Amino acid sequence: MSVADSARSSAPADLARQPVRRFLARVLVSDHPFPWLFPATAMILAFGIYPLVYSIWLSLHEWNRFTRSFSFVGGEQWAKALTDPRMWHALGVTTTYTVVCLAVELALGLGIALLLDRDRRGYGVLRGLMTLPLVVPPAVTGLMFLLMLDGQFGVLTYYGVMLGILERAQPLLGHTSFALFGVMLADVWQWTPFMVLIFLAGLRALPKDPFEAAAIDGANAFQIFWRLTVPMLGRVAAVAILIRAIDLFRIYDYVYVMTGGGPGTATEVLSFYAGRIFTTGNFSYAATISLITLVVLIVVANLFIRLFRVRF
Amino acid sequence: MTRARWQNLLHDLGACLVVFVFLFPILWWVLASFKPYSAIFVPQPVFVDFAATTANYDVTILGQSRTAQALEQGGQVGGTAGGGSSYYSIPSILDSLVVAVLSTALCLVLATLAAYALSRLRFAGKDHYVFWVLSQRMMPPIAVAIPFFFIFRDLGLRDTHLGLVIAHALVNLPLAVLLMKSFMDDVPKEVDEAAMIDGATRLQSFARVVLPMVRGGLAATAVLCFIFSWTEFLVSLQLTTSIRTIPVKISTFVTSTGTEWGFITALGSAAMVPAFIFILLVQRHLVRGLTLGSMKD
Repeated sequence: MSVADSARSSAPADLARQPVRRFLARVLVSDHPFPWLFPATAMILAFGIYPLVYSIWLSLHEWNRFTRSFSFVGGEQWAKALTDPRMWHALGVTTTYTVVCLAVELALGLGIALLLDRDRRGYGVLRGLMTLPLVVPPAVTGLMFLLMLDGQFGVLTYYGVMLGILERAQPLLGHTSFALFGVMLADVWQWTPFMVLIFLAGLRALPKDPFEAAAIDGANAFQIFWRLTVPMLGRVAAVAILIRAIDLFRIYDYVYVMTGGGPGTATEVLSFYAGRIFTTGNFSYAATISLITLVVLIVVANLFIRLFRVRF
Repeated sequence: MTRARWQNLLHDLGACLVVFVFLFPILWWVLASFKPYSAIFVPQPVFVDFAATTANYDVTILGQSRTAQALEQGGQVGGTAGGGSSYYSIPSILDSLVVAVLSTALCLVLATLAAYALSRLRFAGKDHYVFWVLSQRMMPPIAVAIPFFFIFRDLGLRDTHLGLVIAHALVNLPLAVLLMKSFMDDVPKEVDEAAMIDGATRLQSFARVVLPMVRGGLAATAVLCFIFSWTEFLVSLQLTTSIRTIPVKISTFVTSTGTEWGFITALGSAAMVPAFIFILLVQRHLVRGLTLGSMKD
């Protein structure tokens, strides 16, 4: 009796559970990427795409002070941005900043990586110490260089004056033409170690055979460097350039801390200009300037990936 | 023989010099945090010739009131007048720690799952998906902060730890996905295929086979996420008012009456210690992962 009872009661439950179980089994052995990609995609859609759509919406509207509401203005913000000389100036400053920093960081990064790529004792410690600048908050890096470049008591100013590069009456960060170099100095200091790390990883992964063959054939160090090392590190460099360029083009912290965009607008980069507009309350125009930054980056990054066949 | 030795010595000297140049700003910074004000604000740099003091750490880390400190020493400590309590930074360090740890955890879970699919499964549009994820990093930080400001206000996430955790995880997600994918690509496919032939489900082969093999990569990615969150400034500045992460807290030391260099250097130095310990622990894995798989084939 009791056995029959339990059999009767469990049968419908089993039937009800079966589709669930079958579904679960299918998911567990499935090769479909959906369950794996879903969490990250959902996160990006919810918190990444929504801000993007919001920004686009903002860029097509204008806040009306009197009615206290947004009204649709179409491409007016965009037309205003594209004819705004200050936007073009900021774009120019951003481009100069990105290109110069990228070139210097690449060259220094490769040079230092070659210098530190030794198996002798102590080089491991040197490589470890070299990564130290990466852990300094960028805002603190800005302050560090602000302190060292101070016209009165900055240590770099002191030695700069001694060497005749700087003048005490004209601090580097207060100079219209050279303030940007001061900001670049902070960036180069902080991010060259990143390039060093990447190039070290690349150098470690290079095959040995071509180098031995070249040495046997009597190639000198110069030839080996330009004909073998540089081309073989090309792919590593391409990924490094891409990641660094994206971050350089969105530079904000150093400018905010060190110069506030000044003197005048000499160091005003795109994201700082957008931020400045944002604080005045013109959210629509700030969003438009930000979207211009995004569009430029997407176009340039795509071109770069196609041109250099970057693969992840 | 002797020539090779000279060359080696020259090489060593060059390497030490370069590393010293890059360490100098940090050394100078830490040195300044132990200096009395009179030794910071002098035209001629002071290296060793000063009376070292922990006064700056007493105020920022131990929460000693600045007025009490001034009375105790019977003289002036700081250059500018101001309240003492607002310089106490342990709450900020805790805020930073909570946000950095939780956002790293969230980011790692999402990134590892996505990276597994990108590394092991075949599906159409994979390259486009990777670029789409990467493009999330192309938005200027201010453009992320503006809409977040409104969305978080509507959702009640503004000025909460959860809000900042979500924002930081999102900012870190693209790099974390790319890194984890490159680490998983390093594990030969045959290993987990063998497990699945032996009857393991995909989830089992992921959790029991692939995941343990990318432990080092996971650690390296975690450290990078942690450091980015630990050092992030703009998003935290825009999204919070009472919660203050360390970089934001430091920026409040630049006041209208003057810059509190002593406190800034002290808190800045203290903030570097945990991040540097983490990065040293996983440096070996970091060096491999940072090539993002571009060294293969």
